[in-house]
Amino acid sequence: MVSFIAGLLDATVQAATVLLLAGMGELISERAGVLNLGVEGMMLVGALGGFITTVVTGSHWLGFGVGILLGMVLALVHAFLCITLKSNQVISGVMLTLLGTGLTTFFGSGWVEESISGFPQMTFPLVGQYLVGIPVIGEAFFRSTATDYLALGLLVVVWYFLYHSNLGLEMIAVGEDPEMADTMGVSVFRLRYLAVLIGGGFAGAAGAHLSLAFSQLWVPGMTAGRGWIAVALVIFAQWRPRRMLVGAYLFGLLDALRIRSQSISLTLGPDAPLAGVINPMVEFLMTPQIMGTYPYLATIIVLAYAVIRTKSDQLAVPSALLQSYSRETD
Amino acid sequence: MNVAVTVDAREDSPAWLAYGTPVFTVLAALAVSAIALVVLDVNPVAAYRTMFVETLVTEFGISETLTKAIPLILTGLAVYLPLKAGLFNIGAEGQLVAGALAGTWIGLNVSLPGLALVPLMFVAAAVAGGIWAGIPAYLRAKWDVNEIITSLLLTFVALEIQSYLLRGPMQGGAGNFPQSDRFSEAATIPELFGGVHAGLLAAVCMVIATYVLMTKTRLGFEITFVGSNDEAAQQAGMSKFYVYLLVFVVGGAFAAMGGISEIAGAQGRYRAGFEPGYGFTAIPIALLGRNSAFKVMLAGLFFAVLFVGGSSMEVAFGVPAALVEIIQALVILFLITAEFFKSYRVGIDLKRGPAETPAQPQRGDD
Repeated sequence: MVSFIAGLLDATVQAATVLLLAGMGELISERAGVLNLGVEGMMLVGALGGFITTVVTGSHWLGFGVGILLGMVLALVHAFLCITLKSNQVISGVMLTLLGTGLTTFFGSGWVEESISGFPQMTFPLVGQYLVGIPVIGEAFFRSTATDYLALGLLVVVWYFLYHSNLGLEMIAVGEDPEMADTMGVSVFRLRYLAVLIGGGFAGAAGAHLSLAFSQLWVPGMTAGRGWIAVALVIFAQWRPRRMLVGAYLFGLLDALRIRSQSISLTLGPDAPLAGVINPMVEFLMTPQIMGTYPYLATIIVLAYAVIRTKSDQLAVPSALLQSYSRETD
Repeated sequence: MNVAVTVDAREDSPAWLAYGTPVFTVLAALAVSAIALVVLDVNPVAAYRTMFVETLVTEFGISETLTKAIPLILTGLAVYLPLKAGLFNIGAEGQLVAGALAGTWIGLNVSLPGLALVPLMFVAAAVAGGIWAGIPAYLRAKWDVNEIITSLLLTFVALEIQSYLLRGPMQGGAGNFPQSDRFSEAATIPELFGGVHAGLLAAVCMVIATYVLMTKTRLGFEITFVGSNDEAAQQAGMSKFYVYLLVFVVGGAFAAMGGISEIAGAQGRYRAGFEPGYGFTAIPIALLGRNSAFKVMLAGLFFAVLFVGGSSMEVAFGVPAALVEIIQALVILFLITAEFFKSYRVGIDLKRGPAETPAQPQRGDD
């Protein structure tokens, strides 16, 4: 039982990192008012670019950097279309996911056989070697890849950046009321560009983490919908970094449970009252595919609940999300 | 020297832009995708020749194209109709899957003569697709919950349920593949001509019905009115709630019919992954054909040529068919780029010395 829980926690941490990285990028982009539905495509581009670079150069850190860069390149297209050309953010995002999927399937089919030495498992710097011995949680939290630690560190940075730095607060202002921000002398266009590019970089990092640390191989379409879950996660977290930490671990736990659900038995004994009704129901709810719907359903419920329960002026959703900004020139 | 880029809104866009844009965007997308072909050492001219010419001159190619066009046209309508009311249905994929599952269940478990069974499968599919689309529609119409997010997320729920059913209760056939049993003769959509099944009739009928609805009826006028100004429409006594619900539910039913006709007409059984994301391709289709239901049909045919041509190219040149996805995405990315130039006039002034009116905002470096 203890080893089962330890394994479950370990898988949770691993699954959560991908969602955290991609989710943080999406959070920053949406906070500045730009919805990015291209995350899945940007992750794939980052995953393949990082993988190829690592195969060719042998350096996984260089691969990680290239992954980030490629995510930003795709995000630049999104930024140009949505901010400069004021195009529809939904269309641009969905098409960039399609483009990223197409490009990586097209050019990535030859790299499936390759193997790399990606990010190794390591104990947390300095204190990890003492803490890794803690029963149950030690291995999960203090023996991971460098990118797992990086993601958690970046979450603190993102939180501080958004709420305690001028640039971050200006970014939030741009997402809430671009006209007001413009009047106050904040460059709406520049900050939105910056936010979308940071978002793309995070998505690329999430993809590179996936191919260089998580699975250490490349398969076309290997993100398997994690980009969409990251989009859901931001809504689930109501656009708040701290809640996103909780949400990422919750969704990560679901993912970890889902793979192991066959080995969990939660059924009641045959003599228990209502066992005939409850057992098949529990069994159904624990099917891997049915468990796969929970993050999406939970997000829809959270979104609907938040919208219905809250007055619109208190809602956490950035007020200017999906709205392109143009200055009145006359 | 000072370069000032000015952007002014156009009063109305010139006619040549309106007609030239779709053609230009397709050509531009093909030209850029040619780079990908060159990188893989394939002659783009020969590849495009296989892709388009051979698809359009052989009997097999035409029949395949018409068959593929059926679900594409129907899902295209599923995005087109809500778009007219100002709503974005990006969950046509989920509605297609929900409908296809319900229709398949009827086809496998109800025994009736073919004349009654196939229509019943369509009705079951339409109901399921309508319900699946009804959830985001109701949330939007009643409480203003963003329909883009909810319809998108429900797509992934539908895909998981599909995977569950095809590995569990609906799994059939030899081996342990995620697929259903084969349909009986009665549950199969009959052939119309030359290998094209009668689902084509359904698709064309729905195009005509949508066209009539949008151009000849009061309801169509209300949909357009709500789409262009929902507040004014409500002041004029129209029900936004009703219009929102209607366009989405009918759209979902369209997508569902596309799903069941592909399975009962072309596939013969429900296979997981039976379709390469028609519900997402529906978004470019609806955008290209956004002016009229008949243009949706044309756009659907065009994307069908792309899909069929893409697989013949894969066979002939060993090039991944994923090129089709790249072309699709580029067509739309160029289209929305062109939209900008359709509605704004961009002028570039080359001036010597400092700009004469420094107060004028410069947009070039935004």
